[in-house]
Amino acid sequence: MASRLRPGSQKKQIKEKIVQIYESFFKGEDVAAGNANFWDELFLLRPRVSVLESELTRLSSEQLSALKVPLNQLFARCVDVTDAVDLLVGLDAAEREMGRLCGRCAELLAGLYPETLRSLVLDALLAVAAASEDINRNGLLEYLMINSSLFEPVIQLLSHGATRSVHGHKCVLLLTLLVNYRKSEPANPYVVKLSILDDELALNGYSQVITAALSEFNWKYAAQTCDSQSQGWLSSLTSMVGNMFVADELATRSESIKANHGVLVALYEAVHLNRNFIATLTQASTDASSQPPSPQSTLDREQAPAPPAAGQPDPLGAPVNLLVAFLQYCSIVMQDTKSDAATNNVRQCFIVLTCVSEDQYCNSLMHDPNLVFVVRLHRLPMRHRKATDRPAHPQPLATALLDLTVEFIMSHLMKRFPLDLYLQCVGIVHRVLCYQKRCRVRLGYHWRELWSALMSLLKFIVSNENAVVKRNNIFELAILVVNIFNLFITYGDTFLPTPTSYDELYYELIRMHQVFSNLYSMSLRYSNEGEHREAAMRLTNNLVNIRAICNHFSPKIEAWSQANNQTSLTEDQVLDVVRSNYESLTLKLQESLDQYERYAESPRYSSFFTAVVRSVIRDTWSGLNFDQVDHASLLNQTSAIS
Amino acid sequence: MASRAAPPLTCKPAPVALPLPPEVTAVHGAPAPCGRPRRPGRATHQRNLSLDFRSMGIVLPPVQHSSLRRTHHRNRSLDSVLQEIPELEAAEETALKPALSCPRVRRAGPPPPPPVAAAAAPRLGGEDAASLGSTDSGISSDGSERDFRGDVEHAATGAAAMASGPARSAIDSDWPPAGAPVTGAAPVTVTAGTPVTGAGSVTVTAASVTPVTVMAAGDAKPGTQKSWLLRLFESKLFDMSIAVNYLFNSKEPGVQTYIVNRMFSFSEEDTDFFLPQLVNMYIQMPDVAEVLHPYLVHRCRKSVNFSLHTARLLDAYSSDANLSNKKKPLGTRLRNLILSDELRPKGATAAERRLAVPPARPGEQTLSPLRRTHQRSRSDATASYSKGHQRTGSTGSMRCYLGDIGSGRAFDSGCSCYDTAQGKCNDLLGRRVECVCGAPRLRPQLEFIGALMSIGQRLGAMPTREAKTTQLLNELSLLNLNLPARVWLPLYSTGHHVVRVPAQAAAVLNSKDKAPYMLYPHLPQDKAPYMLYVEVVEVDGPETAPVPAKCINTLRHTRSEESLETAAAAAAPAAPALPTTFSLYGNMDAENADCWSQEDDDISQQYWQLRRPRLERERDTISQMSLESADSREPVLIAPGDIRRRLADSLAAPRSTFARDPEDPSAAVLKEPWAEKERRIRASSPYGHLAGWRLLPVIVKCGDDLRQELLAYQLLETLDRLWKLERVPLWVRPYRIVVLSADSGLIEPVVNTVSLHQVKKNSRMSLKEYFLQEFGDVTTEAFLTAQRNFVQSCAAYCIVCYLLQVKDRHNGNILLDSAGHLIHIDFGFMLSTSPKNLGFEASPFKLTPEFVEVMGGLGSDMFEYFKILMLQGLVAARKHHEKLLTLVEIMRSGSQLPCFRSGAATVQFLRNRFHMNMTEEQLQYLVDSMVESSIHSLTTKLYDGFQYFTNGIL
Repeated sequence: MASRLRPGSQKKQIKEKIVQIYESFFKGEDVAAGNANFWDELFLLRPRVSVLESELTRLSSEQLSALKVPLNQLFARCVDVTDAVDLLVGLDAAEREMGRLCGRCAELLAGLYPETLRSLVLDALLAVAAASEDINRNGLLEYLMINSSLFEPVIQLLSHGATRSVHGHKCVLLLTLLVNYRKSEPANPYVVKLSILDDELALNGYSQVITAALSEFNWKYAAQTCDSQSQGWLSSLTSMVGNMFVADELATRSESIKANHGVLVALYEAVHLNRNFIATLTQASTDASSQPPSPQSTLDREQAPAPPAAGQPDPLGAPVNLLVAFLQYCSIVMQDTKSDAATNNVRQCFIVLTCVSEDQYCNSLMHDPNLVFVVRLHRLPMRHRKATDRPAHPQPLATALLDLTVEFIMSHLMKRFPLDLYLQCVGIVHRVLCYQKRCRVRLGYHWRELWSALMSLLKFIVSNENAVVKRNNIFELAILVVNIFNLFITYGDTFLPTPTSYDELYYELIRMHQVFSNLYSMSLRYSNEGEHREAAMRLTNNLVNIRAICNHFSPKIEAWSQANNQTSLTEDQVLDVVRSNYESLTLKLQESLDQYERYAESPRYSSFFTAVVRSVIRDTWSGLNFDQVDHASLLNQTSAIS
Repeated sequence: MASRAAPPLTCKPAPVALPLPPEVTAVHGAPAPCGRPRRPGRATHQRNLSLDFRSMGIVLPPVQHSSLRRTHHRNRSLDSVLQEIPELEAAEETALKPALSCPRVRRAGPPPPPPVAAAAAPRLGGEDAASLGSTDSGISSDGSERDFRGDVEHAATGAAAMASGPARSAIDSDWPPAGAPVTGAAPVTVTAGTPVTGAGSVTVTAASVTPVTVMAAGDAKPGTQKSWLLRLFESKLFDMSIAVNYLFNSKEPGVQTYIVNRMFSFSEEDTDFFLPQLVNMYIQMPDVAEVLHPYLVHRCRKSVNFSLHTARLLDAYSSDANLSNKKKPLGTRLRNLILSDELRPKGATAAERRLAVPPARPGEQTLSPLRRTHQRSRSDATASYSKGHQRTGSTGSMRCYLGDIGSGRAFDSGCSCYDTAQGKCNDLLGRRVECVCGAPRLRPQLEFIGALMSIGQRLGAMPTREAKTTQLLNELSLLNLNLPARVWLPLYSTGHHVVRVPAQAAAVLNSKDKAPYMLYPHLPQDKAPYMLYVEVVEVDGPETAPVPAKCINTLRHTRSEESLETAAAAAAPAAPALPTTFSLYGNMDAENADCWSQEDDDISQQYWQLRRPRLERERDTISQMSLESADSREPVLIAPGDIRRRLADSLAAPRSTFARDPEDPSAAVLKEPWAEKERRIRASSPYGHLAGWRLLPVIVKCGDDLRQELLAYQLLETLDRLWKLERVPLWVRPYRIVVLSADSGLIEPVVNTVSLHQVKKNSRMSLKEYFLQEFGDVTTEAFLTAQRNFVQSCAAYCIVCYLLQVKDRHNGNILLDSAGHLIHIDFGFMLSTSPKNLGFEASPFKLTPEFVEVMGGLGSDMFEYFKILMLQGLVAARKHHEKLLTLVEIMRSGSQLPCFRSGAATVQFLRNRFHMNMTEEQLQYLVDSMVESSIHSLTTKLYDGFQYFTNGIL
């Protein structure tokens, strides 16, 4: 810029207004006071970088840090203005200046500075990242992409327990936003860096931040429901009446759900991008159980072990790991699919679970009989059952995941049928089964629950054909469900826990044969005409084995009951009949039952995530508040720097 | 006797330092009392000669030597032994050595030696050094040497010869007379020897060193009696057991000093075995402590491991010692000294000295090299000065995360000396690398063990077993963040670094098993023993070797495309075993799949298909057909009957493991064959590819006193050794114990075992049937081998149970290993305790009809063999009984352990159980009657029934 090129020549000139403002600004005066249009005016003036620079350099570090708040304010205001970069430094110098800014920020984050200062820097960076609602149009981020030096300090902050507890959330949020900037283009260095990150501590820290946020939500929810349950029927009645008018509880819930948006995206990005992150899914939180380090007093710790911190009982019981917290979170979130926002939230959860259930390593963790955890899944109170959460006992995580899907399937059979959520949910079950089949893992799961849930789903589809089919292509879903049964029928030997469970599968199929024959006739009806013709035809084909089973055993059972003169048979009797009649049955081998389309964000979910990130940015922006900074403490801390 | 006639010189040194003239600056610089020119260096040199070749095994006939010369030799020998000791060590030792000169001489001579001790004092932490140091080094004092000659000349007693100083005549009265009446050899030695050297002490070893005693007795002539004790000490038979025994029984400072000096030449393993005894003596017996101190300090300097072991034992055994006479007992002081981390290897201090000595003192630096003491002590001071200085520097530049589990560097002392180019170079050259940065030496290891303990404590706070299990998983995954580190399990002597703790393989153990009676009074609620498998990498010299680099990439590491072939090859042999592992751990596919991404999977799948054994291929025919059928539109038919049959078959295949029982997760964990577990964990470990990779099991116990277990280990180990020595084919399995404090410790789990309780519970059959199931029919070789193993181990443990009066023998405490050996664990009730003497377990040992059934029944060949073995074992044990008695007796002193509740009688009763006065026929009769009464013992049945009802132990 001109002023930069000849700084000496302007000495004697009259002070420009901008210079005056700069000066008063750096004297610490509240320049904006008394002038509502101050910021507008300021940005209309031609910026004088040299003056700004010299003012800045003249300040002692002490003064500088004291001015941090107004500076941030200034910068944030700058960012507000659309073409802030040009105004601040001019486009030609932008690259270099922003580079310096990044460098400085990285330095501030990495160095031994007070936490408040770091916090401000992070705020400023978040402000930069959230400057535009459409993240891909945020020109400022381009400069952060060129200078990816911010990544390491942020990772550093995440690695250490002390800094993590203060800044963790902001760090994760910042990384998430940075990763989401034009993520489909290969140029984003943060995507690359996050995906190859293999610092166990940093990854662990990242997961801790998410775990903390999720379990806080879980805990709040549990406390809430606990309250409402523990008050007698009278209060529950009143609250029911109250809920009619103001959905207070719902409001608070959606409030906190929204606040978790950023965290969810962060979780998704980590699971999706980073292979190493999976390992941290089952790692416990360090923050809960590690005492603050006391290097001096630990010399004879071994001899006189510090008494366990009895004074601080963990409100959540044992420290939870990320997957446990996430499953619990899902069970709460999916209770509400009424609004679009809530549905999106559930969708995002399911996307994460899809990624998880596709991952070999994660599956092996979830199926390890020695890795057992207590997962408290929340269940929606429904008419036909009580809302009591089951007594939780430690179990492999795959069991909890299946329970979760069963719960979803059973609790969303409604007119406003969330088809794509169902597709995702059943897809998760399918992926888990494929893993079990491929790796011959016999999970001790009560498969009957899953079968009956899936059958209920089919039954619902069949009986609500008019309402559901018109709006959706439910055949995709039906095919998926039927294929899951086919997987059990064909490959049951590889993953069912006992021979009896195979018999029980047949028992259930025979018991519900009506559902399948109805489904078959429905698919026949659609396979001749209409837009779903092909899918309907495939469904008919896939039902072949189930129909064969029903047709094979039903007469046998009939005959048996006639022979024994019994009208209704007990389960054991049916099972006996089944067992003795396997041999005369042949089935057709179905094709590629254990194949599924691997999850890919683009193109299917691209727009979804754009929308999600948009709301994350909105949240971030509203979460930033420079006025709340405690000046006194900041000054106290910064005075100690120099 | 001669010695009594000897001048009543008490050589007990004056406990307070005599006032020292300020101008005198060095020990050796003290003006010669008799005006003889001082040649301090030479004095030491001269002393070198003798013991060197003596200890080589060239035993000079002592009688021929004049007592004068012998004294000299021996006196020198002390130093010759010390030659092996690092320079600094020798200095300090000299300083701390109890005076061998007599005070009388010193009084006669010029002012006693100057402040060597004072110089060393700061390092030893105040008063303790002062009190020890001030006694000063008579050795180097010229006066003493001169005096010696005269002394010895007229006091030609064995005691004088032994003690390299005047005898203390008080010994006679002090001597515990216990040994004398019992052993037949005693009278002989007493007549031949001198009461001064302690008849008891000789007779104690009489059984084991008969030849020597006889020789000594034959040799003994009036006036040269002392020789045989010396000859015993110099004979090949003189081992640590005898040394410890004499150390304990001898009140003779000279004897004690001599023994300690000899200890320097014993192998470290030998002495380490007796460390609990040494430590207990250190705590209980101030005179022994004085002589032991230099040895312990020397070893502490050399090894972190030894330092920690010693500190822990000091801590554990001080806890209930009734030592109220001093403010700070010796043991505590030594412990604090060790933990203050000032006992560093000499090299480090030397290096620091190089760095830190200010140039203003070069004059002192170049003092005569012969004045080693002086130099060294000063360097110590400067070293400690510079150390502190450096430490502050390092904390400034890099934060210290020691102990902060969340930091990922909880066990990192911050020392990088071993990782520098120089360090690595030295390592490759085989040179000992030394740490010069002054980073804490003991802390990482302390923190590691501390972390294990605090996990146990937090587990104890958990209400349910499930919560404990989850908590354990969580805690261990945290611990892993800090590994690998330069830490190791003290349980195992092979050098290694801990690289990872596989959380999935850990298990919380049944602490219920530990409480035989529900009403047991002091049962702490927070006991939560747990079992860990620790992955380690073997290294030479764990204290210096570089730590393996962190491998986080658990996903790909062992499965890169290059290692594809080996991975597949490794998996292939295991394929036939697949059905057995399906149920529990998935299978090979799962194992590999752990680390596969989809892409890897596809590649390897094709590769694998090629290599797979036929059997394996058939397994997957359906998938294959499914794939093929995608091409051909021809429908492939399948039979559900086949599917179900395959399912039934794969589950009915014989299992090598118990089903996982949530109530008792350790059962399944323990039953899995060790080799299989090792292979499984190795396959999934990111460190599995490292050459020295090993899996080590360990049980961490919080809230349990393991000192008794430690004693039991020592006794079992001794029995094992002596049976091997005597070639009695008895089989015991001593399991190692590390006592961490009075109520915590580590136990070595016996792998490939299950308890009889678990056998019964999981297999629901009798022991014999279980044997048949596991090993095959009675005529098979496998069964016969297992049966022989069973008999040999059962006989051994019957003897153990009888001799040590081991109680609480329910089936949860008796293990069966995969070779059929019977192994007893849990020696919480032995010697004079039995749990609440309710009259249970009155039989000599546990021998149920079921055991006899496995042997083939009453009257069978194997049963007779069993009884013969017992007799042989008992005879062998009797022959070496002193070794066992020594261990017990030393530990008894000052101990509050429950097994010593009956006091001195404990040892007496133990001695009685060896039945020294019985002939072999009588012994045989005894064995028969004990076996008889055990088999028909009503109380055993009652006790098992009681256990079943109270604790559910079958």
